[in-house]
Amino acid sequence: MTPGKRVVAVKNVTGGDPHLQGHFPGNPLMPGVLLVEAMAQTAGLLLSEGSSAVLAQIRDARFRRPVVPGDQVRIEVEELGGLGGLHRFAAKASVDGSTVAEAEIVLAVSGLGRKDDS
Amino acid sequence: MDDIVQRVRQLLATRLKLAKAVDEIGDDTPLFAPTGLGLDSIDALELVLGLEKEFGVVVEDRAVAIRVLASIRTIADFVQSQGKG
Repeated sequence: MTPGKRVVAVKNVTGGDPHLQGHFPGNPLMPGVLLVEAMAQTAGLLLSEGSSAVLAQIRDARFRRPVVPGDQVRIEVEELGGLGGLHRFAAKASVDGSTVAEAEIVLAVSGLGRKDDS
Repeated sequence: MDDIVQRVRQLLATRLKLAKAVDEIGDDTPLFAPTGLGLDSIDALELVLGLEKEFGVVVEDRAVAIRVLASIRTIADFVQSQGKG
């Protein structure tokens, strides 16, 4: 893959999202782990069509502001590089221009990314 | 060359957050063997990106990575062979 490739995705957070019912009762807040999953799925769009990938590493994840119903989350992912079946990405989520979360993630293309000491 | 070796050690320590472990290994210690530093393929990717940023050298693929990332000395040799450092 070519380093520097970039993709942007948008997620509208609504009160109807089922995971917000209990997180937290009366105080809906998008779970940080789902922000990371959204980053991972967005990063997956940069991989070749037809390949599937799994998360191999989450590094330096920060959650700077709560994400609540009504927010439109913009997820920007840039590829930093790859080796073998592994690809590293820098991801940033923002709402109204303010960063709400950021992380670096590694995706392993399925079947190639097993830990193999090489 | 000693300078390159030191910078490679620094790279390992900071990019992989292994400062103490790196201090304790020799220049020829296998980086990926369980008896050495015990790195894995995710660490290899991190090192490849770090080498590109720090020295401007490109490790093209997995085959080259296996050869170049064998030890601190092989990394330093590779950097020097590329006319960098």
